[in-house]
Amino acid sequence: MESISQLLHFFPLIIVTIGSLVVMMVDAFSKDTAKLYYLSVFFLIAALAASISDVFGPAGEAFYGMAVYGGTSAMGGVIVLLGTLFVVLLCKEYLTAIKHHVGEVYSLILFCTVGMLVLVTANDLVTLFLGVETMSIALYVLAGLIKRDKAGAEAALKYFLLGAFATGFFLYGIALLYGAAGSTQLTAIAEVTDGGLIYWGGLAMLLVGIFFKISAVPFHMWTPDVYQGAPTLITAYMATASKAAVIVALIILLGRAFPDIHSDWAEVFQVIAVLTMILGNVIALVQDNMKRMLAYSSIAHVGYIMVGLVAGTAAGYSGVMYYLFAYTIMNVGAFGVVAYYERQKGLDFTNMENYGGLGYKQPMFGVAMSIFMFSLAGIPPFAGFIGKYQVFAAAVYEGYIGLVLVGVITSVIGVYYYIRVLVYLYMREPESDTVFQQPGMVYKTAILVLAIMTIYFGIQPGALSEIFTQGFEQLQIMAATGR
Amino acid sequence: MLIALLSIFIVGLIAPGLYSVLREKTGWVLAILPFSVFIYFLTLFPAIADGEVITQSTDWVPLFDVTLSFYLDGLSMLFALLVTGIGTFIVLYGSGYLAGHEYIGRFFCTILLFMGSMLGVVLADNLITLFVFWELTSFTSYLLIGFSHDSAESRNSALQALLVTGIGGLALLAGLILMGYTAGTFEMSEILNSGDVLRESPLYLGILILILAGAFTKSAQFPFHFWLPGAMAAPTPVSAYLHSATMVKAGVYLLARVHPAMGDTDLWFYLVTGFGAATLLISAWLALCYTDMKQILAYTTVMVLATLTMLIGMGFPLAHQAAAVYILGHALYKASLFMVAGAIDHEAGTRDIAKLGGLRSLMPISAVAAALAALSMAGIAPFFGFIGKELLYEAALEAPMWSTLLISIAVLGNIAVVAAAGIVAIKPFYGPKVETPKHAHEAPLSMWIGPITLASLGVVFGSLPFLIDSSLIVPTASAIYGETLDFYLSLWHGINLPLILSVVTLLGGIAVYKIWTGLQSSTPAGLYSTTFHDGPKGGYQFLVDGMLSTAGWQTRVLQNGMLRYYVLTIVVTMAVAIGYTFMSRAGFAWNNELGSVELYEWTLFATIIASALIAVMVRSRLAIIVALGVIGFGLALIYLMYGAPDLAMTQVLVETLTVILVALVLVHMPPLKKSEAAGSKFRDAVIALTLGGIFTAMTLTAMTLPFDLFISEQFAEWSYPAAHGRNIVNVILVDFRALDTMGEVVVVAVAGLAVYALVKMNKKQSKNGGAES
Repeated sequence: MESISQLLHFFPLIIVTIGSLVVMMVDAFSKDTAKLYYLSVFFLIAALAASISDVFGPAGEAFYGMAVYGGTSAMGGVIVLLGTLFVVLLCKEYLTAIKHHVGEVYSLILFCTVGMLVLVTANDLVTLFLGVETMSIALYVLAGLIKRDKAGAEAALKYFLLGAFATGFFLYGIALLYGAAGSTQLTAIAEVTDGGLIYWGGLAMLLVGIFFKISAVPFHMWTPDVYQGAPTLITAYMATASKAAVIVALIILLGRAFPDIHSDWAEVFQVIAVLTMILGNVIALVQDNMKRMLAYSSIAHVGYIMVGLVAGTAAGYSGVMYYLFAYTIMNVGAFGVVAYYERQKGLDFTNMENYGGLGYKQPMFGVAMSIFMFSLAGIPPFAGFIGKYQVFAAAVYEGYIGLVLVGVITSVIGVYYYIRVLVYLYMREPESDTVFQQPGMVYKTAILVLAIMTIYFGIQPGALSEIFTQGFEQLQIMAATGR
Repeated sequence: MLIALLSIFIVGLIAPGLYSVLREKTGWVLAILPFSVFIYFLTLFPAIADGEVITQSTDWVPLFDVTLSFYLDGLSMLFALLVTGIGTFIVLYGSGYLAGHEYIGRFFCTILLFMGSMLGVVLADNLITLFVFWELTSFTSYLLIGFSHDSAESRNSALQALLVTGIGGLALLAGLILMGYTAGTFEMSEILNSGDVLRESPLYLGILILILAGAFTKSAQFPFHFWLPGAMAAPTPVSAYLHSATMVKAGVYLLARVHPAMGDTDLWFYLVTGFGAATLLISAWLALCYTDMKQILAYTTVMVLATLTMLIGMGFPLAHQAAAVYILGHALYKASLFMVAGAIDHEAGTRDIAKLGGLRSLMPISAVAAALAALSMAGIAPFFGFIGKELLYEAALEAPMWSTLLISIAVLGNIAVVAAAGIVAIKPFYGPKVETPKHAHEAPLSMWIGPITLASLGVVFGSLPFLIDSSLIVPTASAIYGETLDFYLSLWHGINLPLILSVVTLLGGIAVYKIWTGLQSSTPAGLYSTTFHDGPKGGYQFLVDGMLSTAGWQTRVLQNGMLRYYVLTIVVTMAVAIGYTFMSRAGFAWNNELGSVELYEWTLFATIIASALIAVMVRSRLAIIVALGVIGFGLALIYLMYGAPDLAMTQVLVETLTVILVALVLVHMPPLKKSEAAGSKFRDAVIALTLGGIFTAMTLTAMTLPFDLFISEQFAEWSYPAAHGRNIVNVILVDFRALDTMGEVVVVAVAGLAVYALVKMNKKQSKNGGAES
């Protein structure tokens, strides 16, 4: 039984799937939500360990070409699981504080993670669709977790409606591509390079569906509203793990299905990248709401990531992988700190005006926030800089100099609003003398670990980058053309 | 060198802690550090003087060829000595200037971090390392300029400096990466030998512009010169350090550094010399439009930076000799003048020239230091500045092109500098005594030791140039030029054209000084400063404001929270993207051989189109739903007619369910808005028709593709012989696709379990009184 033995290559996916079902069942029969938390953490750590070992394992296709394993897929799995694990670790305290510590959060997050893990292994448009939808449906529910909160409900509904709309495009695109190529398998699609209108139309619609999920301009409109309305840590989850999963899937899609028409799609990606970088950064400038600001910043980061994709080389793709890794750790960290401030009573800490002097109140969180902000701004020697450097360098090497210039200029604009947070944290007088709740041990440690990782991978990016680069050779993402 | 650098960073980080232990002695203790690094570089001095080059290297990120490698030649040595030497005095000076200040610990921390970064910039061999340190200097200087962060002006100018130099810095990054890829190496020491590759590369222009953008913003060249005077909001120790000898010279250092690889082309000459000369003329005279000592000094600094840029741009040995001399001379006199200005401000309570006078007897040591420094600045023999100015004139006269223009600019600029030197050194100390806000007296030792030492060095080096010419100036000039040069410095060159021009300059300067008070307040001066200071600054402000208001506009118009506009954006983009693809590359084709169309088919089509129109026209939500439902059922009928009963079945079921569900939900919603503007109606119609047209075209095109019957024929053929089943559908479900079916069964089972769990949970919660919804 070839299929059964191939299952062994999908251990992380299996563990999380079993985990999600177990957690759901336990939730139904037990009153103790804390138990669910420990169970989820246990399954996630097991899955993370399995996917880390997969990174060093073999790579190839499985299930008659429906899925791929090892290499880039395994690394995508690591990024997704790392993001999820930290979100879950932070979640318990946050949800308890906002009085919404309900059991279904954990099973929903795990279901969602199943979808993401399917996404990063997709080698067929159908698998891709399956992953996207499993992930999205769970996210729609998570976004509206706080049912009594009108903004949250509105966010969830908007997300759902627009998501369904985008899914329509996605599906239409798959159908047309199937019509043009006679197969939904990525490597089979790669053999067709010009199938006329339905080929190009199908590709365009498929990409619209994906652009919507990663909130590239002009398909980003839902992002600020949803990020603002959803519970902060769920926002963190949406902004990191789900984006990372879709982008890894996009890398596999572009590398395996459309390598020969790189120059064609790169044109479109360039336009989208420029729009995304400019709009994301410029609008972030005027946001006073912390979560909206981070939402626009996440849009801007997608723009930088697309610069790496435009390069379309192994260097570009592995740069994007590094970027995703750095982006995930620093963004979960930043949202984690925001979530901590937010639960202090009496003040609306989502508004930046109220951040005055907070840096001194909880020194560790202030320092951690500064590290995350510097890293997000792409200032050396933090991990964010290395990621940005890699994608920009790859694009420059391929001759996309104008594009990189736009990236560089918008990065500078970015520095302004990230530093602005620090100005509030340290250079303004505190708005009130609220005594801060002490964060729990787990919360504190998690933020600390994220901050240390942000510094460590900024100073010592070597080993990790090598692994990312090797992953591409292993999975032969670029094999089709030998680029 | 790595250890020297690291020790500065580490001590910088623990400096605030040290302050809480050592209190007011901190400055003296901390000053030992830069001083010992200074001594360390002096021990390497003989080797450099012999023309050797020292390199050290440690791996950092081997994968991208990023190494922590250092490169010490004459040019680096000159800068390293300036950074650590002047740094020693600045730490001392700062401890006096900010004595008792609340955040003095933070000052020591950032100034040391800055010192480390600056040292890193001038020592780095690897391009990426260079950039990292370069950005660190921008960033630490941001903290230093905004040191008194409770004043809005100080915060604004800090941000302005950060933005301008930051933008330049990132342009520099792009330039450095391009340069590295073109040359095939990221080590500066190797790039310097591959100048021909760079100069012949098609990317040369791009690299040059990007690197110049980095250097010009950092060194405040026109039109970016406005940030430097703005940055005078910084505490004086910071200005004395950053804005005289170190940070602003980083741009000049970079130009000098890359000259052997990038220079020696017409383009280099036009751009570098051109911008340098323009800035020189503009800034020198801008200096005379102000009465604030620091503003005057700031503009004369811009003028010297411009002179250096111009000299490096000229690209022949004599010009580079002049540049090397100028770098040293300017650092010595400008740092001391800044420190004196700070001392006056500190002791007398103001640094506005108009409110100062006769301080000579009250602050004698400062007066001497100021006089020595100013004489050097004015370029009077036997001071070091004189040698520099003579060389400048000689170089300008020998320039390969435009020498008449360049010499005139140089002379005009220097006349203004002579006058400025007089204004800052003579006006406050001589003349009648003026009542100052504070009763002035001499500054403490920590504050005058620096200026007097540095200013005296100007005399020593000027009268005894052999002390440094072959050991420091020659290796520096050689490093800038790229080949070993051999020359010596002397005060007396005989009576020649440069000397005559010097005399002219001096007399002109004195004349301008005499009429300065009137000149400064005159209308032309005001107009001049409006044009060249406020103009570029206004441009910057306009860009920043414009960006913010565009962002605000975008939020109001596009990101307005209305779902329909979001959908509209997506649809329009989609239509444009596919429409463009359609036009540009894919031919539209359809099958001409359509069969005959029966009457009942026409009826069906008419019904569907009519329902679509009704759905758009009517105002009642329920009617819209019904109309859409009719379209769905019509489609189901089409499926039925063309032999797809299963598809028709599914369509009917889904359609029924949707109509009922949506109708149930819509009952609770408010009625639709009565009418919309004709304009937006028209817009919507156009968009809808476009997208509909595109989809129709695509469907028609899809029909031209041959239909692959392979799989259905395969199933029909194998159904009986292989699976012994006569019902093909059954065989497909339980045999050919058995695994799929099993999967589906599992899904149904899991879903059933989940439903059970939900029901159970509901019961549990209703027992608890429904605590959590």
